[in-house]
Amino acid sequence: MVAGSRTQPSSEQDGMSEQERLQHQLQIFQDSLPKVNQLAYQMLLNEMVPLAVSVENRLAQTEHVNNSETIDSSGDKDTVSEMVRDLHISPKLDLPSHKLCLQLYEAEEERKKRILERLRSMGFQTGNKLSELLVFSNNPNLTFKDMDLLAIMKFICRDVWKQMFGKQIDNLKTNHRGTFYLFDYEYRPIQPFALDDQSTEKELEMVKPFLEIPVGVIKGVLSSLGYKQEQVVCLASYIDRPADRPKSTFPKGISFHVQVNK
Amino acid sequence: MAIYSFWIFDKHCNCIFNREWTLVANSSSGTINSKQNEETAKLLYGMIFSLRSIALKLSKDSTGNDIRSISTGKYRIHTYCTASGLWFVLTTDFKQQSYSQVLQYIYSHIYVKYITHNLLSAFDLAEDESETRGQGTKKIANRNFITALESFLTPMVAQ
Repeated sequence: MVAGSRTQPSSEQDGMSEQERLQHQLQIFQDSLPKVNQLAYQMLLNEMVPLAVSVENRLAQTEHVNNSETIDSSGDKDTVSEMVRDLHISPKLDLPSHKLCLQLYEAEEERKKRILERLRSMGFQTGNKLSELLVFSNNPNLTFKDMDLLAIMKFICRDVWKQMFGKQIDNLKTNHRGTFYLFDYEYRPIQPFALDDQSTEKELEMVKPFLEIPVGVIKGVLSSLGYKQEQVVCLASYIDRPADRPKSTFPKGISFHVQVNK
Repeated sequence: MAIYSFWIFDKHCNCIFNREWTLVANSSSGTINSKQNEETAKLLYGMIFSLRSIALKLSKDSTGNDIRSISTGKYRIHTYCTASGLWFVLTTDFKQQSYSQVLQYIYSHIYVKYITHNLLSAFDLAEDESETRGQGTKKIANRNFITALESFLTPMVAQ
């Protein structure tokens, strides 16, 4: 009977509370999801770049070994000392990450291209699965029915970026003909990066591979929502931060140029 | 003048960062990573090392024991040692009893943020065997780290 006295609000307020109720449900749903440490996740994300270099190194190594084995398959590994040298308790560790990044910076064009391609496809897989996850979440702000390209880009700017990097894209520009510019003035994963000396040219060049991951993610999300990989061109480049923004540790903002061909 | 100098040592007994303030009036004065401080660094390291081992021997049970500060007639040394073998050392005057929160802040909000999370810099400055036994001379020269540290410690120089 106490409730009876409360059921006074108009239908408008009911609509509001409907939205709020959905938001609340989303909140409960998200709270119930398993959590990971954001720091560990972000470091893992960054570690994808050294991983790609390392995989490329290993592939080159095995190829080399295979070649040399076919040349002299007889081998002279009979001596005890050589057998001892091949024995090890734990597998040999890869080079530390900063050295792998340096390797990538110094790699020749062909090899670099292969590594970046590997990196993009890792991002692609991530993005592809990510939209599945976001479809699965009952976010009242998301409707995938009759989504046009602009709505999808907005979805990337808001939800995908929020999910992956903890913030939204700062600026979205479009010419309404399939070209989009997404500006992120403080791309999170690269914020702490800096080389020891002041050589910013080299630093920017070394950080560039880290931008291939979000490029892959954008392509992956677009592909899962019906725009094939071949239709989409996505490029990342540096831009200057607008003057009114507070200074952050990394000197440049990032611009993603997305072009969708019909 | 409240703080005189700041040092970081790594697990290989190398001094990987030092900062010394010389003038009270000008808090940006002094040296960063100066070669001339190498000998001082070794002496400071030796003193802390010896006192740490004494503290360990005098501990009641096996849970370990560590020194927080060492006071001499002229100045006080504050230390903060991490489990990964990093030592953060601050020399100050007698005005303030404890700097442990300051050192903890430097470790968790400045060192971890700008050195550990920076994938482009080495996590261990000693690259090969020859540098692991106190012979290394490499120093932290990261600009973000130095700027953040300066802006954090500068107000304390002339307190």
